[in-house]
Order: sequence, then structure tokens, then C-alpha cells
Amino acid sequence: MWLTWRQHRRQALLVVAGLAVLAAFLLLTGRSMHRASVDTGLARCLGAMRSTVDYRLSDPAVGLPDCNEPAERFNAEYSGYLTPAILLVFLPLLAGLFLGAPLVAREVQQGTHRLVWTQGVTRRRWALVKFGLVVGAILTLSVAYALLVTWWVTPLALANAARFEYLAFDLQGGAPAGYTLFAVALGILAGTLWRKVLPAMAVTLVAFVGARLAVALARPHFLPPLERRFPVAANTFPNPMLSDWILERNAYDSTGRAIAPGGDIFCALPCPGYDPGSYNVHVYQPAERFWLFQSIEAGVFVVLAALLLLLAVRRVRRIS
Amino acid sequence: MSTALEANGLGKRYGRHWALRDCSLALPTSRIAALVGPNGAGKSTLLHLAVGLLRPDAGSVRVLGGIPGSDRELLSRIGFVAQDAPLYTDFTGAELITMGGKLNRRWDAELARERLGQLGIPLDRRVGKLSGGQKAQVALTLALAKRPDLLLLDEPVAGIDPLARREFLQALMGSVAEHGTTVLLSSHLLGDLERVCDYLILLQTGHLQVLGPVDDLLAAHKVLVGPRRDAVRVAGAATVVRASHTDKQSTLLVRTNGEIHDPAWTVHDVSLEDLVLAYLADPSVGALPGPARLGTDRGVQAP
Repeated sequence: MWLTWRQHRRQALLVVAGLAVLAAFLLLTGRSMHRASVDTGLARCLGAMRSTVDYRLSDPAVGLPDCNEPAERFNAEYSGYLTPAILLVFLPLLAGLFLGAPLVAREVQQGTHRLVWTQGVTRRRWALVKFGLVVGAILTLSVAYALLVTWWVTPLALANAARFEYLAFDLQGGAPAGYTLFAVALGILAGTLWRKVLPAMAVTLVAFVGARLAVALARPHFLPPLERRFPVAANTFPNPMLSDWILERNAYDSTGRAIAPGGDIFCALPCPGYDPGSYNVHVYQPAERFWLFQSIEAGVFVVLAALLLLLAVRRVRRIS
Repeated sequence: MSTALEANGLGKRYGRHWALRDCSLALPTSRIAALVGPNGAGKSTLLHLAVGLLRPDAGSVRVLGGIPGSDRELLSRIGFVAQDAPLYTDFTGAELITMGGKLNRRWDAELARERLGQLGIPLDRRVGKLSGGQKAQVALTLALAKRPDLLLLDEPVAGIDPLARREFLQALMGSVAEHGTTVLLSSHLLGDLERVCDYLILLQTGHLQVLGPVDDLLAAHKVLVGPRRDAVRVAGAATVVRASHTDKQSTLLVRTNGEIHDPAWTVHDVSLEDLVLAYLADPSVGALPGPARLGTDRGVQAP
């Protein structure tokens, strides 16, 4: 344990320092976003709308405001943060590349495995302690970070009703911790297989991106999506600010001909432009499945990570 | 006498190439054995197999009675210094000693500190900043501090200047005499080996060529000098290891199986260096104890 700490303390301090800088930035901007969300009335508006599944378009009688206006005011100032937020998606990958891949590979590349594996400690124990400590530390950091980023991105995601969409989903809750764990485990295993730092990093990069893409493409099908139909011409529509994940939207006229491919139409009564039988179809994952989907996504990667780590420990015992 | 290292049909393959093949040997305890052979002969492979860094692809190896690799008890009884003396270069000497203490049950930190102190190697400097010879000394110190029963050294003196080399080997001798440690060290420096080693293992491109106690080997080999003869058959000589001829004179290095009585020859003793060089020059002749004697300490006999 002492050895692991001594070997990686500089790396650990660097990582913590880097994350601290990033955390300071997130705390500052996050606070101002949360404040703006309150000040623009967006938070109150979304809070009020959360309780309804359907809402009435511009119907003051019901007293439900359309949140577009505060959302736009909020976005005018803060939607610029969405672009740098993409960078946060890469943090798990960086952990895999720079912390995971060299863990065993550097040891073998520099020949120091011949020193440490011939001391009075079995390789199994060496691997368990080293992997355990490093992975544990990274897991702790990544969970803390995921919480912070979740808090940070929430007002932004809600203002854009995009909490469930790609990118925002990938930054929140357990998913990023799962990604990080997976990336590090992948890096470690790649290091035991290729035993040189650069090839191990390359393999980690390719495999991580591949796995992420595969799971992301499968994500809409974690549970069968729901479908809802509602008339084009109406005063009541599905609440758009719920952050449902709408996978497909289409509008058809009464004969079933698509009239707005890839879009939906809201037309308040009286609505002269559309034939009264026209309807919209949404294929979607409802917002309340958000945490379920988060658990599935995180679970997939955590299980994969555990498997990879197990393999890595076995590999270390067999390297010869 | 018990055996420190025993190999039976031991082989290790890299892809299709056998780095070591059909190697059977037994190294008695309390010996200082020299492992010699040309580059690529399989010296490092044999040492790595013995310490469990490699696993055999054929045959078996037993060290101090156990199979090396996964046994902590056994690992702690073997000291090993790999080629180029790998160390964590950003550790200081003191930190490496601490590391050894954490990783080994049997650990003599006092000895390690004392030894580095005697050598004038500062404990608080990162070993990456030490010279090659100092690094080798640090690595050897770490191995000695385990108080090993068997010490395996892969080219330990390669990076050290002659004077330090002599001291290094003397320290080795001292350690062995004190604790009865068995040592197996590989080296190219035959002159150094002659001074300290009492057992010889000669590997030739993947197979064992010569094996035995140095004294027996030297006693069993003679250099014969006499008038030139092309057809060399000498009574009392089992094998001619090497023959060289000038116009008038023939010089033979032979393995004997009796007294050389032929008065035409003057008989000289052979040095270990000459003996090793003669065998290295001709891979086809060997001097191994017969299979029945494997594991005994009888040394070279004609089969």
C-alpha cells in the first residue's frame, strides 16, 4: 500500500490539482447558473409545469405559463456552456488513458516488474492492492465529480428540456462514474496484454470509444419506447418541458400522409391551416425513466469494469 | 548435499524459437555458480524461469524444493537482480529500503543501510541520479537485504568498473560465507568469475553444454602441447575439445579420462577462462554429468 501511494502520489496530486481547478470553475459558473435560473423565473416556471403531463397552450385560465420566455432569457446567457461541457465527456477517457493504461504497462516497459514481482509478495496480492487502491481512489473522485457535474448541468439541461438527451445524460448521475471505472479497468487490462504504454493507450482509446458508442446506440432500447398520438389542432399538448427523451416525432394528416417529417406541429384552436384529423406521433422515453436508464447505463459499465479488472488480475499472474 | 536449483527437461519458447531447450541441471547449495554463454544462449531465460518471472513451456524447474512463481514463502527466500538492475528511478535509496521492508517478511533494513553507507551511496538521492555502478550496487543491496537462501544475479557486474567489480564480488563472497547463500550469477567477464565461482553452468544457444564444479572441471581438462599431429587420438583423453596447430606444434585442450602417459605431450593445467572459451568455440562438444548422476555433486565424468 505504501508502495502504491509512493509510486503514484505525484500522479494523484496532479489529478487532484487539475480536478480542483475544474471544480472551482464549475462551482463558480454553476452558482451563477442556478441563481439565474431562479432570477429569470425559469426554476419556478419549470417547477409549476412539472406537475402536469399536458399543458394548455397560452391559456391564462389554467394559469400555467409557457416557460419558453424565461428559458430563452436563461439560454441567451448560458447556452454557451454546452459546448465546453462536451469536454467533460472526455474526462473518463483521459482517466483510462493516463491512469489506467500505464499502471501495468509502464512497470513492464521499464523492467521494474522484475524488481517488484520478485519480492516476497505474490503478483496476485500486488495486483489486488495496486488496482484496488488506484481504482478506489479514481472511483471516489469520479463519483464526487459526477455529483458536481450533475448539479452544474441540471439548470442548463432543464432549460433546454434536454436532460435525457445525449451529452446531458452522459454527464449526470452514475453514468460518468461508470464510464470512468470502465475506462480505467480497460486501460489496466490493455496494459497487461500489450505491456507497452503507447499501444495500451491506443487500444484503450479505440475500445472505450467503441463500447461507449455501442451502449449509447443501444440506450433508446433499454426499455421499449412509448408512443403517443395527439391532434395537431388542439389547446392541450404534451408538456414539452418535462425532458422526455423524444426519439422520433412526426406529424400526419387524417389520411396518414406525413406532413412534417421529423417534426411536430402545435396549432391552437381555432386552427384553419390543418385538417382536423391531423395528428402528431411521438416515440419517446418518458422523463421518469431517467434514473432507471442512468442505473442501467452505469450498471452495464460497472459490470464490464469488474470483469475487465478480474481478467487483468489473472493476466498479471500469467505474464511471463 | 541438497539442491538449490533443479531443472528437468526445462524449456522456454518464444513463438517458434526455443530460448532454452531440454535443460536438466542441479545446482547444489552453498555454491557460487557461474552461468556463462554467448549472447542469446538463454542465460536470462534460465534465471527468469528460476525466479518465477517466466513459466516453463516444457519440463520443470524447482528452486529450494519449491516451484517458483506463486509462493510468497519461496519468493522471499530468493534474491534476484535482473539485468540492468531495474529500480524505481524516482525513489530514493531510503525509500527503496522501506519498500523492501513492506514487501518482504524477512528484511534486514539495517544491513541495507549499512551497506549503502559503506559504498558511499547517499540514501536521500533519487536512484535515477546515481551512476550505473551505484544502481547495480543498490539493486544488489536490496537483494541481499532479503537474506536470501538463493541469490540469482543477471549480469550484475556489467556496468561496474573493475575496482568496484572486485569489491562487489568480494561482498558477494562474504555474504555467501556468512549465510550459506547459494549464488548463481551470469556474466561475460570470465576472469572475474574464475576468482569467485566454484561451479560452472555453460549454456550454448538454448542448451546446456558444460556443467560441474570448477575444481573437477579444471582437474579433468588439460592442455597438451606437442609436435604437430593432425590425427589426434590421445591415450587418456576422452574428448579433444579444441585443437590448434602451428607448423611444428599442436596444442590440444582435452577432457581426460586417465593419466596422459604419452611423453610426446607436455601437459599443462587449464584456466577456467581457456576452458570456457574452448567450449564456446565448439558447440558440438559437451561435458555434462551422465543422467544417472544428475543431482549429485560428482562433476564431470566420461559418460
